Amino acid sequence: MTSYIRSPLVIVWALLTVVTVASWLTARDGGSSHQVNIAVTVVVLLIAALKTQLVIWHFMEVRNSPGWLRAVMHLWLAALFALLLGVYFSFR
Amino acid sequence: MTEVAQGQTAGIGEPRRDGRTGRHLPGEGSMWFFVIGDLVIFGAYFVAYMFYRGQHPDLFLQSQARLNQDIGAVNTVMLLTSSLFVALGTSAARSGKVADAVRLFVIALGFGAAFPLLKLFEYVPEVTAGLTPGTNAFFMFYYVMTGLHLCHVLLGLVVLGFVVRELRISPNPRISFVETGATYWHMVDVLWLILFALFYLMR
Repeated sequence: MTSYIRSPLVIVWALLTVVTVASWLTARDGGSSHQVNIAVTVVVLLIAALKTQLVIWHFMEVRNSPGWLRAVMHLWLAALFALLLGVYFSFR
Repeated sequence: MTEVAQGQTAGIGEPRRDGRTGRHLPGEGSMWFFVIGDLVIFGAYFVAYMFYRGQHPDLFLQSQARLNQDIGAVNTVMLLTSSLFVALGTSAARSGKVADAVRLFVIALGFGAAFPLLKLFEYVPEVTAGLTPGTNAFFMFYYVMTGLHLCHVLLGLVVLGFVVRELRISPNPRISFVETGATYWHMVDVLWLILFALFYLMR
């Protein structure tokens, strides 16, 4: 069982956990007053996009999947975060 | 000893490949149809949330301040850790290490089961403080979307239970079923990562 610690998947998980803590601290320190904060929003949304991509690519194994699935998942992720940021900035 | 350990490491995390294309669709195609549909539907909800939020930024910011950001963060790590063990368990099952796979999936179930328990510690104080879906637009989105997601988590836990059962009782566990269950669980993780950013973190 201990051999699993050396799996590349553990490195992906460690990265996911580190950026989760980073985004939590960013929102806590930069947004504790709960004012509109464009920098905090952009950072936490980009971190969310990175985490989503890491889970889809490595845990869901889309990395090694057929081309159509990789294209669909890339398209969904890019369209979603472009829309989220686009709508956010359209109200600024 | 070192050779054995290295051999095992090389096998873990490396999906089985199709000899002709070198590519492999994890699990059943029908599950991917469902996963993509779910991602598109939730994606539409996420964008709608952003739209309503833009119209009432102060209301949404003040309401966000009432959420328990710490439990949200801990729950994110719970789901990520659960997903790691599901991914490791899937690799173990694929390499024929069924006993390891069972253990890894049971650990994944444990981390996954922590999520609804912690969610209770969020919902109960919120509801007793008078924050309900009827409070305002933010809490309507919050309860409907995190509630829908929680249903996915509970169904996911049942699916993981069936994966463990398949690995334990079947003499030849079906890897495609293990992969299908894993794919569903990772989708639950993905949806939460975005919910966490939108409801708890953005300003």
